[in-house]
Amino acid sequence: MSSRDQILKKLREAPQPFTEVAPIPEQRHMVPLTDTSPEALRSLFVENAEKLLCVVQQPQDTEEAIEAILALIGTDKNVTAWDFAHIPLPGLPEALDNTGIAVAESNDASVRVGITGAATALAATGSLVMVNRAGQASYQSLLPEVHIAVLTPDQITTDLEDWMVEQRQQGLDRFRESSNTTIVSGPSRTGDIAMEIVMGAHGPAELHIILLPD
Amino acid sequence: MKVNANNFVPAVKDNLQKDDVQEAVHYATKLAYNKRLGSMFEYGKEHGEGLRQQAAEAKRRALRNLPDLLEKAEANMQANGIEVLWAADADEANRMVVEIARQTEAELIVKSKSMATEEIGLNAYLEQNDITVVETDLGELIVQLDGDTPGHLVTPAVHKSKDSIRDLFVRELGMEPTDDAEEMTMAARRHLRKIFLNADMGISGGNFIIAETGTVCLVTNEGNARLTTVLPKVHVAIVGIEKLVDTVDDYATLTQVLPRSAIGQTMPVYTHMLNGPRRADETSGPEKVYVILLDNGRSRIYNTTYTEALACIRCGACLNACPVYRIASGHAYGWVYPGPIGAILTPLFTGLENAKPLPHASSLCGSCYEVCPVQINIPAMLLDLRRDLVKEGLSPQLWDWGMKGWALAFSKPGLFTAGGTAARLGTGLLGQNIPFAGAWTNSRDMPEFADKSFRQQWQERQKGSTDEQS
Repeated sequence: MSSRDQILKKLREAPQPFTEVAPIPEQRHMVPLTDTSPEALRSLFVENAEKLLCVVQQPQDTEEAIEAILALIGTDKNVTAWDFAHIPLPGLPEALDNTGIAVAESNDASVRVGITGAATALAATGSLVMVNRAGQASYQSLLPEVHIAVLTPDQITTDLEDWMVEQRQQGLDRFRESSNTTIVSGPSRTGDIAMEIVMGAHGPAELHIILLPD
Repeated sequence: MKVNANNFVPAVKDNLQKDDVQEAVHYATKLAYNKRLGSMFEYGKEHGEGLRQQAAEAKRRALRNLPDLLEKAEANMQANGIEVLWAADADEANRMVVEIARQTEAELIVKSKSMATEEIGLNAYLEQNDITVVETDLGELIVQLDGDTPGHLVTPAVHKSKDSIRDLFVRELGMEPTDDAEEMTMAARRHLRKIFLNADMGISGGNFIIAETGTVCLVTNEGNARLTTVLPKVHVAIVGIEKLVDTVDDYATLTQVLPRSAIGQTMPVYTHMLNGPRRADETSGPEKVYVILLDNGRSRIYNTTYTEALACIRCGACLNACPVYRIASGHAYGWVYPGPIGAILTPLFTGLENAKPLPHASSLCGSCYEVCPVQINIPAMLLDLRRDLVKEGLSPQLWDWGMKGWALAFSKPGLFTAGGTAARLGTGLLGQNIPFAGAWTNSRDMPEFADKSFRQQWQERQKGSTDEQS
């Protein structure tokens, strides 16, 4: 008998455990939210992302957003970036081009700055949901020291529980189509040396969120 | 991994002599304990307790339907393009990993922290087969470079002082001497980044597998699990069969109570949901993903009265809350899982005869139960294990005599009274030098007995009150 069949047989031979455990009538959310208006979600997201040590910028228009990104790139000659179709900031590729900043191979680990969008943002925890798809690889938010994520306010939803419900409403197939979904909550950090918090253990040490105007 | 749990008492005595270990573990556990309190009850005690109830229900419901869920998870993982393997024991799991490494022609493997792989002794097995495996969690790297084993479920290098890590990095990584934790971390980042970029294969554990979607879930703060699961061309996740959860909703609850319970963190920096290999139109991710479902004693434990121990999500909250763990520290427990949950898991996994002191390594204060996010009644199970020790004749002879004497005295009032009188007289005469009680009186004062027993006082009082009434 294969190990698989043996394991299943042993489990099925055991008396079924926890038959008396009552189901939970109503699922609680980890973070209870009272006001879920777009304005409230936006300000809650910013507050929580900043608590996670993200730097959130809220430019007045796309021009100011592009300026902010160029300032973060500084004198670097190249960046990595998602396909620009998935970064909700028109004019960005041209601006990079005009400034003489090239877009390197997505997995070039020597590049300092990576620019991405995000699938969604979670207000309750200040997190970005990064879904690996065509033109939206994992590298750009993982390998560089500085990760810049461009976000529109309508991408901000409540919390992980609701995002999961939304996935179910879409039949869960869309969720499973992607090989890797990662919820990013702040820059990479560690506390493994004497419990002292240090940023940038493996992933980006800085996470800048450019939250565009409505 | 070899079991050395019967050496618990001498090991604790040893640890008590190490001031730096005592200080480091005290500081870390108290910090994590307090942060957990603030985090789990951020929205009130009632809400926090409700979430524990919800998490506990989700894990128990999954265990109730475990065989069905395993089949469902297997089918969904296969549909996601994951190759699913089943390992009955450590040896089979290790052989599977080496076989995959051979097929991949892997020479360099990166690993993201996993207790299951500690359990099966995977690193040593790979080294025996001339395959280099590098731990990438900073704490695990420290432990691996030092030829040590993890001292905590969540913070493996908890027992290492900053000075000892500095010396280790100077020696092993050629780091310039520094007392700055950030510079030490950057030295490790540079060292590991090169390794990541050259690795052919990645190995991780799994915090959860969602049965309804066939998703392997991981959490890390450093990003090493993301590099491990994204960069190498092959990924292998080794996951205990008890890690299954039914739905994405259960997952959403559990993956959030985990970091809050572990270190009082709202969300880990990276919460991963792996649905298999890189899709045809994707440009990052492994080409091949394997999941090894590990039994290694779990199906046996499933068929005991200790099934609840399988609900553990390895947050380590019970370690941080435990007054015994705080002074004993992880290694004294003699196997992979330390602290209160380890005191249950080690006897269950490795046999009670190999872990005789562990059920007694608790004052039964109940802190572990109070903080457990899935409400595992650890004190009750420790008591049951103590009973098993007696039943199986594994308790010390002296304990047996003592218990028989106690039972006899309790059944004969005359003997009971005589025993009390003897104790009052005896302690009066002997002071602190009580035979057989040296282990107790070496470090504590033997309390003085009252002049009169409760029964005497009661009788006198009753007499007095009748006198008053008359």
